[in-house]
Amino acid sequence: MIQFANVVVYNYQYLLDPKVAGIISKEMEKECVVVFDEAHNIDNVCIEALSVNIRQQTLDGATRNLSQVTQLIEKSKATDANRLRQEYSRLVEGLAQRGNLAGTDTWLANPALPQDILQEAVPGNIRRAEHFVAFLKRLVQYIKNRMITEKVESESPVSFVTALQNQAGIDQKSLKFCYDRLHSLLLTLEVTNTDEFMYIQTVCDFATLVGTYTRGFTIIIEPYDERMPNIPDPVLQLSCLDSSLAIKPVFEKFQSVVITSGTLSPIDLYPRLLNFHPVISNSYKMTLTRDCLCPMVLTRGSDQLPVSTKFDMRSDPGVVRNYGRLLLEMVTAVPDGIVCFFVSYSYMDGIVNSWNEMGILQEVMQHKLVFIETQDVVETTLALDNYRRACDCGRGAVFFSVARGKVAEGIDFDRHYGRLVIMYGVPFQYTLSRILRARLEYLRETFQIKENDFLTFDAVRQAAQCVGRVIRSKADYGMMIFADKRYNRHDKRSKLPGWILSHLREAHLNLSTDMSVHIAREFLRRMAQPYDKTGKGLNATLLSQADLEKMEKK
Amino acid sequence: MMDMDEREVPLQLDFEDDGVEEDEPMADRGAFERQYADERSWEELQEDESGMLRVDVAQQQRQHRKRMSAMAGPRIQRGIIRYLFVLLDFSRAAAEMDLRPSRMGIVVDCVEAFVREFFDQNPLSHLGVILLKDGIAHQLTDLSGSPETHIRALRSNMESTGDASIQNGLDLARGYLTQIPSYGHREVLLVYSALSTIDPGDVMETVQECKKANIRCSVVGLSAEIYICKLLCEQTGGMYSVATNEGHLKELIMEHAPPPAAQAEMSVASLVRMGFPQRGAEDAVALCACHREVKMGGGYTCPRCKARVCELPTQCHICGLTLVSSPHLARSYHHLFPVSPFEEVENLASANGRQSLSKSCYGCLQELPTPGGKVKGVRLECPRCRQHFCFDCDNYIHESLHNCPGCESNSVILSQLSQ
Repeated sequence: MIQFANVVVYNYQYLLDPKVAGIISKEMEKECVVVFDEAHNIDNVCIEALSVNIRQQTLDGATRNLSQVTQLIEKSKATDANRLRQEYSRLVEGLAQRGNLAGTDTWLANPALPQDILQEAVPGNIRRAEHFVAFLKRLVQYIKNRMITEKVESESPVSFVTALQNQAGIDQKSLKFCYDRLHSLLLTLEVTNTDEFMYIQTVCDFATLVGTYTRGFTIIIEPYDERMPNIPDPVLQLSCLDSSLAIKPVFEKFQSVVITSGTLSPIDLYPRLLNFHPVISNSYKMTLTRDCLCPMVLTRGSDQLPVSTKFDMRSDPGVVRNYGRLLLEMVTAVPDGIVCFFVSYSYMDGIVNSWNEMGILQEVMQHKLVFIETQDVVETTLALDNYRRACDCGRGAVFFSVARGKVAEGIDFDRHYGRLVIMYGVPFQYTLSRILRARLEYLRETFQIKENDFLTFDAVRQAAQCVGRVIRSKADYGMMIFADKRYNRHDKRSKLPGWILSHLREAHLNLSTDMSVHIAREFLRRMAQPYDKTGKGLNATLLSQADLEKMEKK
Repeated sequence: MMDMDEREVPLQLDFEDDGVEEDEPMADRGAFERQYADERSWEELQEDESGMLRVDVAQQQRQHRKRMSAMAGPRIQRGIIRYLFVLLDFSRAAAEMDLRPSRMGIVVDCVEAFVREFFDQNPLSHLGVILLKDGIAHQLTDLSGSPETHIRALRSNMESTGDASIQNGLDLARGYLTQIPSYGHREVLLVYSALSTIDPGDVMETVQECKKANIRCSVVGLSAEIYICKLLCEQTGGMYSVATNEGHLKELIMEHAPPPAAQAEMSVASLVRMGFPQRGAEDAVALCACHREVKMGGGYTCPRCKARVCELPTQCHICGLTLVSSPHLARSYHHLFPVSPFEEVENLASANGRQSLSKSCYGCLQELPTPGGKVKGVRLECPRCRQHFCFDCDNYIHESLHNCPGCESNSVILSQLSQ
């Protein structure tokens, strides 16, 4: 169907994830125009497309799958030995794949990029089905042994493969063909219940990637999650560090690629991350009839104490109280809906508990109803639905959400659903995560991007994304409060997108709670006055036929 | 008489200044500065030859006329007989002091002035007051035609407690308004200071029922724009405005005093029975129907049932006939047939050899500005009788008198001549 359509709209993964793109998008012609919309997270998507995580249950499942495969082989030998022999001869001739796949067999796709798949014959030691199964058993056993470790280990794919060769006798070339071989074997055995074989497929993905790539990946083995050291939860992570790998085939194949977003800032970082040279790189301002945005940077409470979500300041009762009073004062001044974003679920839990103990939450509930986002999708949907009903009928509501959650990525709070958004703190990623540290090191070595710069860029991008939920049209208006003293510094403020910075005046920086309440009241009164939607003269936002013709002549 | 002080520029008219570019944002300045932002009257001062200061009077007058003309509308059918309920929000939010002396205080002041103006401009109408507090709606006064009742009741009930409920207020008003005769226009004016409404049920249903019952609901907000109020006004055809300061609040409430445009459904012309009672002699003694007491002298007798009422306009307590006197009708008349706006006379046009310009204003006989003369200002002309008037007379004629003296005396002279 894709060949006949003029416009195709689908997920990023269908184009970037090699496992899926090879099937769905290989019929797209070179002359297509590819547009990545809301592409501020595209580097993360590229990285996730090429990363594999292996846990204990994956390995257990893989062992089960292998015994199932052995049984199937025995059965097939007994009934129709022809098929296996045909497969063997095909492999000798180098035809690793048996023609086009049916569209639904997405799970059997090759995890490596198309150009990296060697067009060679499958090596001899895995051509026979029994030999291949034994090979996989050795591999699974080796990984199991590696995961029994007391401390965190981190190494590059090359050293992993070398160790694998020394200890289990598995060479790199065979690793590269793991996927192809497994795919062909399962097709030959005419396996229909493909879901059960997810585990062995993950292991083969891992093996193929490890065997194919030497640069841009790292393997990290963690015996337990650092936030919960008592629970053993070993995990082996093959994480891609270089986001340019997944998007390279897209750049090479298609004639025009456009990357666009409302919060793509700073804009010169993206070409470096994705390793391409943009033909045009442009940032457009919004034309508004009236100043319908009011961003503010709040750095202290009414008692002039600075507020922040920095680790050492987070649990300070003064800071918690100031944040609570900020919410309370805003709730008495702003009508309809207010949205609050916190930096993480644990922080949100902690601070809401403290507010409850201080009695602030009860006072807030007297003015507006309170709704919270949880990690459960159904609960969150219900909370959102009731939040909208409360805003519609005039009761007013506050929505607590998390900066990297589902709500921040997708849900709009336009018009009366979001008159004010408060960003509590700077949403940095969990900086002690090993994968993140490995990625930062790689960026520093390869692209000369400083760690601090990248972390700040990532955090401010997330904050801008949260805050941008509130304005969705020119007739809409809303206020944004960045509640952390670190936003006042130039290095963080300058990374905000242009459309926020152009409305962020000097008078709205470094505010305390009472000043921001005053500004909020003035803004709301001003915005409630009638105005001419089309604008006249300087503020013209509605172009007439004559204007368009004039612009065309220029 | 309209306030002549042009310093009082309400914020909403800032956007229609004559081409003066606002390159600085308004929010950076203080409240007092905003009032001067458009005008900068100190820049208009100029010095004449002897070093004395002079102000360009003509420019100021032109600006004022421009503002006033923007507010006057075309000639449309209006609802003269209005039954209006004023819903006042006396909840906790009304005790806030961001408007001096408190929100409740300034609202009561404005509503008092509004009530007087309302009966002045709509003598045939009725007004009632409902208070919203503690989550319930109390009816303070019934629908009646006497301003003093309402004002006295308001002043004696000034406490603000609890929450405000729009649904309860609207339901109560609707209950009364559905009982009035069909020729009356049903209206509700809600002065709302809270930011939310605590309702017992679904307020959207109430909005739909008000729309079905043809009640035109308008809201004047004191804090910020609330979605439910906006929805209410849009659905019922009313006006939603939010006040920025005390002066603006008064203006917004006063805007509801002149009768609004009639809605399409109500424009079926129906005949309304009215009585024009005679005033009784000074020594007549009768039992008064409104107070149930014996009264000496004065009073009016209903032509249908001969009951005695004390004051007009009112409804007869015995037979329900609307009793009015002719000046009341005349006062309503001018809404339907307003005086056409006067045009400015360009002084240069007189050089074309037409008859010489009259030296004094037809209304007050004061000197009019002439080219090269000492008096500065604008000269205005009535399009029908072609008489010239000064700026003050123009204001007076259009706002209070509602009759042009030139047109009136023209017909008198013509009729005299024909005798």
